Amino acid sequence: MSTQLKHKEEELDAELSGHSAAARTITVAVAGNPNSGKSTLINAIAGTRLHVGNWAGVTVEKKEALFEFGGRKIRLVDLPGTYSLSPYSQEEIVARDYLVHERPDLIINVVDATNLERNLYLTVQIMELGIPVVMALNIYDEATEKGYRIDARAMEEMLGIAVVPTSATKKTGLDELLATALRVADAPKQRAPKKLNYGEDIEVACDYLAKSFRTSYPALIDNYPQRWLLLKLMEQDDHVMKELGLDNLDFLDQALHHLRRAHGEDIESIMADARYSLASGLTREVLHKPELRQTELTEKIDKLVLNRFLGIPIFMAAMWLLFKLTFDLSAPFGDWIGAMTEGPFKRWASAILTPLGAPDWTVSLVNDGIIAGVGSVLVFVPVIFAMMFFITFLEGSGYMARAAFVMDRTMHSIGLHGKSFIPMLLGFGCNVPGIYATRTLENPKDKVLTALLVPLMSCGARLPVYVLFVGIFFPSNSSTVIWSLYIMGILLAIGMGLIFKRTLFRGEAPMFIMELPPYRMPSLHSLCVHTWEKGKHFLFKAGTYIFAVSVLVWFLLNLPWGVEHKRDSYLGQAGAAIAPIFQPVGFGTWEAASSLITGVIAKEIVVGTMGEIYAPKKDEKKEVPTLQEDLKEVATSFGEACVKAVKTLLYLPQAEEQEEDRAGLKAAIGGSFTPLSAYAFMAFVLLYMPCVVAIAAMRQEFGTWKWAGVGLLYQTALAWGAALIIYQGGRLLGLGG
Amino acid sequence: MNLAKLKPGQKGKIMSIGSIGPLKRRLMDMGVLVGEEVKVLKVAPLGDPIEVSIKSYNLSLRKKEAEGIAVEVAG
Repeated sequence: MSTQLKHKEEELDAELSGHSAAARTITVAVAGNPNSGKSTLINAIAGTRLHVGNWAGVTVEKKEALFEFGGRKIRLVDLPGTYSLSPYSQEEIVARDYLVHERPDLIINVVDATNLERNLYLTVQIMELGIPVVMALNIYDEATEKGYRIDARAMEEMLGIAVVPTSATKKTGLDELLATALRVADAPKQRAPKKLNYGEDIEVACDYLAKSFRTSYPALIDNYPQRWLLLKLMEQDDHVMKELGLDNLDFLDQALHHLRRAHGEDIESIMADARYSLASGLTREVLHKPELRQTELTEKIDKLVLNRFLGIPIFMAAMWLLFKLTFDLSAPFGDWIGAMTEGPFKRWASAILTPLGAPDWTVSLVNDGIIAGVGSVLVFVPVIFAMMFFITFLEGSGYMARAAFVMDRTMHSIGLHGKSFIPMLLGFGCNVPGIYATRTLENPKDKVLTALLVPLMSCGARLPVYVLFVGIFFPSNSSTVIWSLYIMGILLAIGMGLIFKRTLFRGEAPMFIMELPPYRMPSLHSLCVHTWEKGKHFLFKAGTYIFAVSVLVWFLLNLPWGVEHKRDSYLGQAGAAIAPIFQPVGFGTWEAASSLITGVIAKEIVVGTMGEIYAPKKDEKKEVPTLQEDLKEVATSFGEACVKAVKTLLYLPQAEEQEEDRAGLKAAIGGSFTPLSAYAFMAFVLLYMPCVVAIAAMRQEFGTWKWAGVGLLYQTALAWGAALIIYQGGRLLGLGG
Repeated sequence: MNLAKLKPGQKGKIMSIGSIGPLKRRLMDMGVLVGEEVKVLKVAPLGDPIEVSIKSYNLSLRKKEAEGIAVEVAG
């Protein structure tokens, strides 16, 4: 209602100010099935003008774009891809609440021309809302290639809506789609969709209900799309009944009496049948398939990819490739960004600040706080971009659904979904892309549970910590010890999965009713747009938190200003204050505790902090390169990064970098840990709270601090418990301590 | 006879859907309706889930979910 009022006001304003209604922004909602090419269509239309966020209060992604077309302002709102508008998934609730309450001027319904019948089932439901609809008959090129002939004019005739054939990947028909949309939006009355006939029994019941309802609740019927409301009442849709505050309408039973007698008790099935009959009937009328059906490419590929014997090896190979491409390809660029912020950028900042007479602490704040903070965000950008690109490719190509199909048995046995495998796998490289990859899961339960377990996968940032400690305490069986930590993470993930399943995520297990879409080559443009949106989102949204924490840690390390000994800094004081907590687990020293605090930024920083605390370096006077040399380095090292990435891709051997000598640090650590407490410490580093970046990713993905908080608390508790068992258990077994 | 027991390549006609609540609703929305013809295409390499063809597209579901769908074997 409020929206309608707003529109009236806007029109009035326009008239008063002498403009025509043409100045008004037209809101267009885009609805369609998953795999109907809807995202590609939106990306093709709006491109980088898309703004990505979340729908209020839910983990469902919201995309919007504001742009001009034909001299008119259009606001495009992408609704989540759904098969139906029934209220059983978050996506469906979001989509229908938007359509019912926000009443866009127009709906563009994206329909997969190669899969007409099931797509039209949603169209039929959308038409119930009485909002003007334009159908984008998408993937039309592929349908034509397959020899399908679709009579779009006949479809327009039967539905009373405009139908425009499009191909989002080839970018054809898009201008006509928008032009048609504008034409329809300007004359909504003449272009209202037809009221479809659901069969006599349903229509009679509906008419009866309309009369009774109008007399009893006149206000309600004007505020909702009437046809839609009546049908929902007949289905006794819980969501709608609750929203309207209705239950047990006696006239509803009377209205449904005859329908039940003739067709059985289950009204929901009767309605689904009626809608599907319309969709089937329409498909029969307008679609002509060739008599001879060729074996399709998808069948051929699936014969191999889902083969009983080859299915799993192929899956493993695909996963290996995904992992390798995501991490190895992005690593040189991450390293490059890291080296740039460490070297030239800091030198430039000093070069600018020092002559201006800036005090030392300002230079340090800018260099070690701000630039280091920005750097810690930027180093993640390549890996996030790479992950998004390849995940989107897997999804768009259709292989993601097959991967889930192959892995579901295994993952389901520990309470997860087949699609949980990929986020977990990516977690071994870096937990952050792992958490972002949970977006491929549809069910919010599956999604959150997977994201909570991903940080138990031992990521690349923990490795430097293991390497340092193993080198000191377990030099003869280093790889066994490191493997044991990876295995520990996996076993605890399985255990925690089962515990969460019985506590936080109790209730019915999410289902696995999933379409296996035909294989398609995703359009490069759409892949890039999608990757860019996500990367940008990470940079500005998650980046803010990461940056803030990084600056905070600088303050902890350097205040009170001028501290001589790290023990006296706020960080040292904080470390000393919490050290007793670590007494029972074997490393109750302020040095260890302080390192763990800074490790919150990224776990490998534990090593850096230990270096500073245990073996502080003397300020060496290094030769400062000139600006020209710096600029040259920026360019040449980027070139080197590109070469490295290409080499990785081609699997060429690369020279290993020399590790710096850490003799002083090793001796100091060797003196303050025992092998047992060192192992407990490594386990603690593996398990304790996810790094700030992972937490920011969870906050951003789930739109609330709740799950990030749960992750933080349970993991820290788990880490302490595990370290306690290792240390005290080890002592009982006489392993020293 | 239920859908979970059909072998790959076997076709059946759906006689009833025993599932309730969201699962049933979801099945219906995906076109799994009484009277519909369904063909089992594949079983996943590890034995579960299964892939079926219905309404000229391919759908996968766990055996447990398919158990509630009664079918009459057709050819």
